[in-house]
Amino acid sequence: MTESNVSRIAAFVYTGVSVASAAIFLAVTLAGDYDWVARAGGAFWVFFLTLIISMPTVIPMLRERVRGAS
Amino acid sequence: MTVHEKHRDLKEVTIPVAGMTCAACVRRVEKALSGIPGVEEATVNLSAGKAGVTYDPAVCDIPEMASRIQEIGYEVPAAHINLLVLGMTPGHCEHVIGPAVRGLSGVQDVSFNFATDTVTVDFLDSVVQAAEIKKVIRGLGYEVQDKGEGADSLDRERELRQQEIRRQTRNMLISWPVATIVMILTFSMYEPLDSLLPDWSDSKVLLFALTTPLVFGPGRQFFVHSWNGLRRGVTDMNLLYATGIGAAYGIAVINTFFPDAGFGGERAVFYEAAALLIAFIVLGRYLEAITRGRTSESIRKLMTLRPRRATVLRDGQEAEIPADEVIVGDIVIVRPGDAIPVDGKVTEGYSSVDESMISGESIPVEKSAGDDVIAGTINKTGAFRFEASRVGADMAISQIIRLVEEAQASKAPIQALADRVAGHFILGVHALALAVFVFWFFAGYDLWFDASTRLMLTPYELTGLEVFGFALLVSVTVLIISCPCAVGLATPAAMMAGTGKGAEYGILFKGADAVEAVSKVQTVILDKTGTLTRGEPSVTNVIPADPAVAHADEVLALAASCEKNSEHPLGEAIVEEARERGLDIREPEAFDSIPGLGVEATLGGVAALLGNRALMQDRGVDISGQIAEAERLENEGKTVMFVASSGRMVGLVAVADTLKDTSVQAVRELRRMGLQVVMLTGDNARTADAIARQVEVDRVLAEVLPQDKAAEVRKLQEEGQIVAMVGDGVNDAPALAQADVGIAIGSGADVARETGNIILIRDDVLDVAAAVQVGRRTMRLVRQNLIWAFGYNMAAIPLAAGILYPLTNQIVSPELAALLMALSSFSVTMNTLRMRGYRPPSRRGPSTLARDAPTAFQHTAVEVTS
Repeated sequence: MTESNVSRIAAFVYTGVSVASAAIFLAVTLAGDYDWVARAGGAFWVFFLTLIISMPTVIPMLRERVRGAS
Repeated sequence: MTVHEKHRDLKEVTIPVAGMTCAACVRRVEKALSGIPGVEEATVNLSAGKAGVTYDPAVCDIPEMASRIQEIGYEVPAAHINLLVLGMTPGHCEHVIGPAVRGLSGVQDVSFNFATDTVTVDFLDSVVQAAEIKKVIRGLGYEVQDKGEGADSLDRERELRQQEIRRQTRNMLISWPVATIVMILTFSMYEPLDSLLPDWSDSKVLLFALTTPLVFGPGRQFFVHSWNGLRRGVTDMNLLYATGIGAAYGIAVINTFFPDAGFGGERAVFYEAAALLIAFIVLGRYLEAITRGRTSESIRKLMTLRPRRATVLRDGQEAEIPADEVIVGDIVIVRPGDAIPVDGKVTEGYSSVDESMISGESIPVEKSAGDDVIAGTINKTGAFRFEASRVGADMAISQIIRLVEEAQASKAPIQALADRVAGHFILGVHALALAVFVFWFFAGYDLWFDASTRLMLTPYELTGLEVFGFALLVSVTVLIISCPCAVGLATPAAMMAGTGKGAEYGILFKGADAVEAVSKVQTVILDKTGTLTRGEPSVTNVIPADPAVAHADEVLALAASCEKNSEHPLGEAIVEEARERGLDIREPEAFDSIPGLGVEATLGGVAALLGNRALMQDRGVDISGQIAEAERLENEGKTVMFVASSGRMVGLVAVADTLKDTSVQAVRELRRMGLQVVMLTGDNARTADAIARQVEVDRVLAEVLPQDKAAEVRKLQEEGQIVAMVGDGVNDAPALAQADVGIAIGSGADVARETGNIILIRDDVLDVAAAVQVGRRTMRLVRQNLIWAFGYNMAAIPLAAGILYPLTNQIVSPELAALLMALSSFSVTMNTLRMRGYRPPSRRGPSTLARDAPTAFQHTAVEVTS
């Protein structure tokens, strides 16, 4: 697997994780009495923080796996 | 940068890295280097600004590492040199010179200017020397001269640091005035500002217009750096800043232009938070840029000692040449006030030389023909010439710099925890910020939010803040207040200061682990011969049998005349003493050495004897009157020789290996520090006890054969002691290696061949105490720094997360969080700077006086009964 492939897969994984987190957040807010600004703003902030957390976690993890396999 | 062969295939290199600001930068560089195929291990030291890399030269090379470091946003300070190369022709010579120079390991770039006959080379100056580059070009048949415009990496590093200071000064000059204006305008509706400022002063659009250039000017660096890191999968402090500033600014912009969007409205515009955040971070960066340079001052001082020019004799003529072009065997001319350019041996002339920069000894050392001189030391009064014996990387100063650099680039065991924490800190803080946001959004706000909520130390009321705005504010404050920088800096900054301070006193720690280990030592083993004693016998007592018949000097002169042709160490000591006293030493007409007994000589036709009891008894000399005195001296561990002339007893001469001037003082100091002091010797128990009584050690290990020294060290370790072994770095190497800390003493200029974890340049046992004191002091600083750094984060983060909010209805404002964060890392650096003025107690005034005062043993050593 090439370096660019790793980057692409990593981007797919961390974006997916972040979107999923934001979606879960949004789903939970639907059960409560929140306005749409709070829901959207909160979902964005959750997406953003999860992206920051998952990017530096996923990229090296995949790189390690590729290096281990080669 | 230095390169060393590690074993058959791998090499080690130390690469300077500029631009790192925190522990996360360390991890970024380590990750980037580790990711290069062929790199086995990469260890980065933040304070030293160096990366130690173990690599396979067959797979990767140094320029690749340098470019990878540069790719992720850091700099590798390289040296460059402008050479005047005569005889070049365009189009051809660049294809001759270029590949040859580029082929040298460490050369980064070569450029040509044929109009000025100049070749400019960028190179990593510890991998390849300027002299080697010139030599290669000369070897191609060109004439090469140094244009003298080059800058070595030290200048380059200083230049980069100055650039950083200038950049942050410029940022400060922009951000502070603007942030202050933004803050004043933000609070313009409050007394007394409301009466002083016009109505339009609290316009949100005005605040937007003022803050925006700040965010995209001085604040831009944080966004750029964090994005560069993120896309390579690494995080650093900039990410915390960028998230904090971005969130505060983003909310303010939304609330300015879309006040009904539900983000808190016009009452919740945090322009002043974004502006002050930038101002405080820039202030922190500025203070760090200034103080960080100071912690590395010791190594810088050592580096500046290397003179750049030398005056040598070439073809009988004096020629001033670059110091790096001096070759072994050159005769170097040194005039009063000159710095000595290379190591060598004095061939003619006399002077005193200030060696304090190498050994820490403040008294100038006298030099005459045959004495060694060390590069970097300063000639004081006279003029002399010397023959160069070691140049370039072989010079003592180069070896010392290398040792200190390597020590500063190494990591102490205590740093492992801090590194692990700091490395994951940023992600941890973001995860915490997420958790805090979710908590306040779904639970905290409903449970505790009160309309009278205020930001700490501000008149701000957050009445209009809704659930999202409130949870976001608390979440952002957590990001801002945390300071992994302090955690990451705590240990390396103190280690750097400690190893540098040691070097100032001629104490070279071979690694940060040596500093930590020596601070924990419980037992110090001192090898007797050569460590506590001078290692060569000298006359301690001369006692005439009958002072009315023969004076002490006459007894000594007689003994010396007997031994004049002797090659026995005891005989040489007697002759040396007689010479020092200016006595007349006669040539014996006959001389006979009697193995195991002494010598027999004929002087002026008279038979003379010098030897032990057995010799005297064999020749029928009556020694009964001297027996008591002889036994007293023997109980002091001395070797006693009887002197007889014409069959009559003349007197006694006692010879012993004498204690060094500072031995008693050093042992006393070590014991005062709570250490058990053990003396190790191959001597018999009686001699060993005699010396032990004089130096007052706690324990004596006598009759230990050289090959058994390591086993004795092991035995003490098995008793549960943490042991430091002090001895000759060459002869005692196995024992030094066995000990928890091996201290090689008196290496002088030859530090490279020494084994051991700590090398003492001076031959002074007091420096053992000084080494322990520097180690303890450094570790105290490390602990203080770690306590502060961890303590700050442990206290500040919960505070920012709103732990006190249910009780106080107050939350930390982002700007207060920024101030606290900046102060945290600054305080760690300031605490470390306290090491600058530190002087080990054993190297302070009173001890120095005590060192010069005669010890109890010295009284016996000079005892002469006449």
